[in-house]
Amino acid sequence: MLTDVMKRDTNRLTTSRLRVAPGFVAIAIATIALFSVGGVLAPSSISHSAIIGMVPFAAVLAIAGLGQMLVVQQGGIDLSVAGGISLAVVISTHEPAGDSSKLGSAILMAVAFALAAGLVNGILVSLLRLNSIIATLGMNALLYGAVFAVSGGTPRSTTALLAAVAGGSTVGIPNAAFFAVAALIVVSVLTKKTVAGRRFEAIGANPAAARAVGLRVRVHQTLSFVWAQLLYCLAGVLLAGITNQPTAFQGDSLLLPSVAVVVLAGTSLLGGRGFPISTVIAALFLLQLQQFVLALGVDTSVQTLVQAIALAVGVSLYSVNWSSVRRRLFVRKPTQAIPA
Amino acid sequence: MKRRSSLTAIVATVAFAALALAGCSAGGTTSSGSSSGTGTTHLAGAPSWCGTKKIKLAQLDGFGGNSWRLVTTASGEDEVKKCASVTSYQYANGNGDTQKSISDIQAFTAKGIDAMVVFADAGQAMLPAIRSAYKAGVVVVPYRVEVGGTAGKDYTQFVGASFVNDGTNWGNWIKQQFPNGANMLFLSGPKGNSQGTDELKGLNSVLDSKYKYLNEAPYDVTNWDPALTQTVLTAEIAKNPKIDVIISDFGPSLVGALPVFQKSGRSIPALATSDGNALGCFWKANHAANPDFKLFTVATGNDNVRLAVDWAVAKATGGTPPSSSTFKAPVFEDSVSGQPNPVQCDSSLPGDIYLSAQLSKAQQAAAVNNK
Repeated sequence: MLTDVMKRDTNRLTTSRLRVAPGFVAIAIATIALFSVGGVLAPSSISHSAIIGMVPFAAVLAIAGLGQMLVVQQGGIDLSVAGGISLAVVISTHEPAGDSSKLGSAILMAVAFALAAGLVNGILVSLLRLNSIIATLGMNALLYGAVFAVSGGTPRSTTALLAAVAGGSTVGIPNAAFFAVAALIVVSVLTKKTVAGRRFEAIGANPAAARAVGLRVRVHQTLSFVWAQLLYCLAGVLLAGITNQPTAFQGDSLLLPSVAVVVLAGTSLLGGRGFPISTVIAALFLLQLQQFVLALGVDTSVQTLVQAIALAVGVSLYSVNWSSVRRRLFVRKPTQAIPA
Repeated sequence: MKRRSSLTAIVATVAFAALALAGCSAGGTTSSGSSSGTGTTHLAGAPSWCGTKKIKLAQLDGFGGNSWRLVTTASGEDEVKKCASVTSYQYANGNGDTQKSISDIQAFTAKGIDAMVVFADAGQAMLPAIRSAYKAGVVVVPYRVEVGGTAGKDYTQFVGASFVNDGTNWGNWIKQQFPNGANMLFLSGPKGNSQGTDELKGLNSVLDSKYKYLNEAPYDVTNWDPALTQTVLTAEIAKNPKIDVIISDFGPSLVGALPVFQKSGRSIPALATSDGNALGCFWKANHAANPDFKLFTVATGNDNVRLAVDWAVAKATGGTPPSSSTFKAPVFEDSVSGQPNPVQCDSSLPGDIYLSAQLSKAQQAAAVNNK
């Protein structure tokens, strides 16, 4: 009996080490399939120029998605992603007003705003126990207030320096991709390889148990919002460089996709484990999907439908308990004699 | 776990209130426009539209938060200054909130304003407020965005912009540059926007079947969003090995996207669009390296507001209204003929000012910088 238990435990450990997250398998297969199908049905969607054009935006979405993932890991949702990105875009373009030498101080200012916004979000949610949707929605409105206060709603053209750094490419690879990879590495290492990171995931999985063993639940929850805002800030600054002539509302179109990539990557909206690599791949998937439907040349309404269906299928893959559905649909209940 | 105190309730209330207040900060990027008040601006003495009755005038914006709007607002104020009969000028910004735009109109009516020019971003939703102001005896001139209704019944006069005229101008230039036909890519704003369909009418009135559209019908949807424009353009460039000319009703939004051509080893093609300082400067910096990059622009239409002001002031002060109630954007730049202007760029000024506007560069820079 004792040996049995030991044996079983050893097995479990081995398998857990080798096991790959189901979300990763699903999103990786879907992305590979998308590129393959694209190659057949709309070859231009996988041409060099299409990929080069798509990657910077995928990088921005990946970074925003990583931020959102940290909040989702703590069981929250961060709706201030739109305001956070828009504010970073506005500050990094409006403050330097075309003068590259002022870019550094503008970015510092954007980072300061991000820290403040993240801290307030975190305090509202973790200390004052506000629902994260409500708190971050309010924060989003405040951030847009800051957008107007800073700029009157008018960002400027990007400075030449930022356009070269964020929009340029090195050895044929868009620079934005390097930023996304760097963000991925930082987030992965911090959450997976450090003690604090392991605690962070444990708290997300079960805050009550975590508190019972003495972990500082509130601090970790607060920090998730701060890190998220910093990542949004990075995404916003990159976006400002990539688009050259951004609007003051550039973050709006990233709100839902940022949640979508987190869910597509298999992170539970109830909190717990995060999947940084899958999140980045999911961002690549969403942007490539857009390239694909654009390359197909179908009507805009069909483009939207295709994207929605892909999202629904992707999410249902692992958020629906398929074995129970199968059981309910196909397995008949053993007929029992009704007691008379 | 649950420490719901009254403090929580207060914070929640404040957050909710902030939310409700700042609510819909809709970003209405009005692209291109039309331009100048043609022939109604005689500075010698007072212009003919300036009558003798003393009036108070208000300019109302549905959404004032982009540089194009700031320049337009400053243009309206500048036009008002030409007529000494206007003793008071006031401005209100709806911030993209229809409710606020409506209450702005009601507030000005109650304050006894004699005339108002209204940029009704919310379109027909603004008609009841406009009508009630008109019925209360205010001279109301909605401009640029159609509000439905009829002049003389719901408002004094509507001063629209002719986007068909823009399309015709682009079409004529394309015909000159590519007499044997061309592969064209037409980009406009949100799906179903009437500006794009009107422009297409103009294009089709000039161009025959030798001129082929590569975009989805009637135009590729960009929402006038630079990021989406870039994505759409990337897909089209990958799909179409030969694009001769790009037509867009928001030229400056292309600046971020055009380098994609160079990245894929192709020359930027000819461009028929609306003007913007950023675009002009981009052309200056890149045309040498891109032999096919010719640029043709129509004025982006900040001066549409001047024609509206002329109408409002004329009707309220007893002056002579302008002969036209439709603003036709003049051709602004042509990199090939240099007529009426060669490509304009002033790199000392912000990228988002419009050199086609009558308002001086310094005034525009001031209008944009003050915010």
